[in-house]
Amino acid sequence: MLNCMPDERALYMTSAGSLKFAFNGLVLLIAALVLAACGESGNKSPETTRESVALFTKNQTNPYFQTIRVAAQAAATELNVDLVNYIPTSNDSIPEQMSQIEDAITKHPSAVVFVPVDSKAMIPGVEKFNAAGIPVINLIDRSDGGEFVSFMGCDDYAVALNTARYLFEKMNGKGNVIIIEGQGGSSNNQKRVSGFKKALEDFPSVKLLASQTGNFQRAMALQVTENLLQAHPQIDGILAANDAMALGAIEALDAANRKALVIGVNGTKEAIDAVKAGKLLATGDCDGFVQGCMGTMAAVRHLKNLPVPKEVIFPITVFNSTNYQGADVPYEQRMCPKWESIVKN
Amino acid sequence: MASLARVPGVAFLLVALGIVFSIFAHGFATLSNLLNIGIQSSTLLLLALPMTFIIMTEGLDLSMGAVLGLTGVILASVLVAGNSLIAAFGAALGVGLAFGIANGLFVVKLGLPPFVTTLGTLGIAQGMALVLTGGESVAGIGPALPKLYASKWAGIPFSILVALSMYAVFHFLLYYTRFGNYVFAIGGNREALVLAGVPAGVFHVSVYALAGLMAGFAALLLTGRMNSGHPTAAMGMEFDAIAAVIVGGTERQRGNGWLPGTVLGVLAVGVLRNGLNVMALPSSLQVASIGLLLIAALLIDSIRRIKP
Amino acid sequence: MKYRLIGVALIVLALGLSSHAFATPSNLLNVLRQASLIFLSASGLTLVIVGAGLDLSVGANLGLSACFAAAAIKATGTLSSGFAAGVACGIAVGLLNGLMVTKLRVPPFIATYGMLWMLYGVNYWYMKGDTIYGFPPDFRALGSGDLLGVPIPVYLMTIGLLAGGIFTRYTTYGHEVYAIGANAEAARLSGIPVGSRLILLYTLSGAMAGLAGVIYLARLNSAEAGIGSPLLLPAIAAVLIGGTSLFGGSGGLAGTLIGAIILTLVLNGMNLLGINSNWQPLVTGVIILIAALIDSVTRRHAELHA
Repeated sequence: MLNCMPDERALYMTSAGSLKFAFNGLVLLIAALVLAACGESGNKSPETTRESVALFTKNQTNPYFQTIRVAAQAAATELNVDLVNYIPTSNDSIPEQMSQIEDAITKHPSAVVFVPVDSKAMIPGVEKFNAAGIPVINLIDRSDGGEFVSFMGCDDYAVALNTARYLFEKMNGKGNVIIIEGQGGSSNNQKRVSGFKKALEDFPSVKLLASQTGNFQRAMALQVTENLLQAHPQIDGILAANDAMALGAIEALDAANRKALVIGVNGTKEAIDAVKAGKLLATGDCDGFVQGCMGTMAAVRHLKNLPVPKEVIFPITVFNSTNYQGADVPYEQRMCPKWESIVKN
Repeated sequence: MASLARVPGVAFLLVALGIVFSIFAHGFATLSNLLNIGIQSSTLLLLALPMTFIIMTEGLDLSMGAVLGLTGVILASVLVAGNSLIAAFGAALGVGLAFGIANGLFVVKLGLPPFVTTLGTLGIAQGMALVLTGGESVAGIGPALPKLYASKWAGIPFSILVALSMYAVFHFLLYYTRFGNYVFAIGGNREALVLAGVPAGVFHVSVYALAGLMAGFAALLLTGRMNSGHPTAAMGMEFDAIAAVIVGGTERQRGNGWLPGTVLGVLAVGVLRNGLNVMALPSSLQVASIGLLLIAALLIDSIRRIKP
Repeated sequence: MKYRLIGVALIVLALGLSSHAFATPSNLLNVLRQASLIFLSASGLTLVIVGAGLDLSVGANLGLSACFAAAAIKATGTLSSGFAAGVACGIAVGLLNGLMVTKLRVPPFIATYGMLWMLYGVNYWYMKGDTIYGFPPDFRALGSGDLLGVPIPVYLMTIGLLAGGIFTRYTTYGHEVYAIGANAEAARLSGIPVGSRLILLYTLSGAMAGLAGVIYLARLNSAEAGIGSPLLLPAIAAVLIGGTSLFGGSGGLAGTLIGAIILTLVLNGMNLLGINSNWQPLVTGVIILIAALIDSVTRRHAELHA
């Protein structure tokens, strides 16, 4: 099997022999170390370690989730708890988030703040937390099942509805529009698109020319908008289901030297800058920073047996040229709000 | 059968990772965590086993992840429609087998390159899954599958049992049957087979058919794990399967395959991911480590100049 | 090759008949602009595949280069620094790939797939979930602007095509690449320094990915981690639809151009006809198979009549 000279083979054998010896030694060493390490951790009592909150977000690339993470860390620091981040290595990967749930349970966090990558497929994962007795806050994206201390998020339908209405009012109630949708399977996307379409019903003179998906990605939205601009010589408004796609649509408009009013959802920093610059008409959001803070704060409140409402729907702002200033603060400089200012009993 | 010199570099990395994580990742070296690793790796192993055969025949199957997604969706849909688990499983296997046979016929009978062919069937399977579901999860599959998935047999979780059994089947196929001999031969010296009058074509097609079948089989585990079917949940898994096979010591040329190596490759990645999660290292570091592991494994082999 | 051109013609005809907006000069130029991005990403990859190699890291490389280019432009205020940073990143990655494959004997699949993961790791760590955006108009013109009515990326694509054609047909390096792809052992025996040629190939692939990243940045006007990831499969598909064989030794950039155009036509047609893009992978997969079938049939035809 080894296609080498006989003396080389002998060399392999002796190196195999010495490797075997090294292996045996290693095995003994492992056993000793494992016993030592596990013995040590067994002696640590849970009370002497700080409480830890595990935060699950969907991916590493969407700035919205970075805002959530920064805010959660700010809240955690303020409240003197550890924050542990779990992010899939492949964006929005269902199997990976499931594995991370299992791995997180091994570390037994005090509480979990959970943004599911899928509203249905992650239910078994939440049930694992439930079975392990770990309290979970459902943040941003609603999960269709599993036990939660609270759902805290934005009413995506209402955000989209309000932002679309703002657009149609600015269009004086008439004209042609196109919708750039997000990922088909995302429940947020479905709610936002529903919100857009409901707004259309309120403005009968606004005509929907086309509704195509940009998968929540800037590049794809750019390409789709370019194509739709070719297909339709008159487009007055563009409704994008998230800011990345809205910004992609704006690039397409600029490149084609066409004008249209564009709205997005999320209130990301780049979108606010675009509103400031007059390129983006408006972006609707519930303030990701506040949501990130409140999720962690809710988890800690629950651990301290303080009341947490079963549902917290954050107030919506349609950021436009008149009111963007509130969001125009870099998140490093922001502080978490007081719980009572958001949750009024 | 396996002298120490045959053991690929990834084995040493696996041991090293085990040591490091046992020391630094509290909770790693517990039975429940080790079982987790097994559960987390079982679906990938089901894909990597037939991939080993395919790579030994100097081929590739890029469609496995997409076919798994499609069969998962079909499994879920049949269950949602109120049918039995057996019927649903049969449907998944059937669709998977169909794709596998199609791949095999394209590659063997029509002589199309495997990479291209399976890239094409990837698109078709992916497209079918997306169109069938509109991109959404298929939920409401009833209690039968979740109960099966959560079951333990003599303490062994169902998915690990499936993975072990499938390994035994493939091990037997490769090393103890004539089919296995032919798999070795197709990659190494196809002409000899043909000259000997063996219907090499049939066996060659079967290798791809087996892969499609296993993608359908894996749907049972993936759908059970998510309690739903999702069209894109397994996207990209075939790349990880291919990497596991190559890192495990099977080479694309010369029809040389080592099935235990595939298990080592799958476990190494599973251990790495799990250990890094338990250590709660930043995600960007995790991403980079996966690449580093794959390259390091082959580097060790190059340095040892193991080329059986 | 001629069957591919017929294929493109048929698709164009079908779309032209089904959509009044398709066959306008404006839309056709639009399609060419979109195709040129895929072409630029896939150009280096084409040569690597001709040399019987594989580079799975092009998408990740492109994305990382775009991010470095963005950071450089923001930091120094000059566009040339962006180009330098982007292309330098691309070259560095390509060089590492080449060294891994030749000197360290890591199989190309693992070397470039491992590199893909490492690059994303660096990319995520570097960008920290943020985006870098807002670039000057003269830079953005590279991706979204026109010159004499023709999109600038199309000029870049033409230059790339011509340069590649000259390289492969009229330079010894080019001939050597094909020889290495056809039979590396024979090439080595005939005196071609296979190792250093392969290093050159991977470096070139990386450089082109880096350059494509800069152009992509200009088009998107923003950089975020992972922007290259949706480009890997289309780049590979463009090369393969174009007829370049994975076994090496045949094919070329002209094929990749056709492949890029065909892929772009699919999405363009779907958007124009209002077809749900869930069908896109299906259509693309069928086209890939048809292209492979055509090749197989023509090859057998040629063998029978040789």
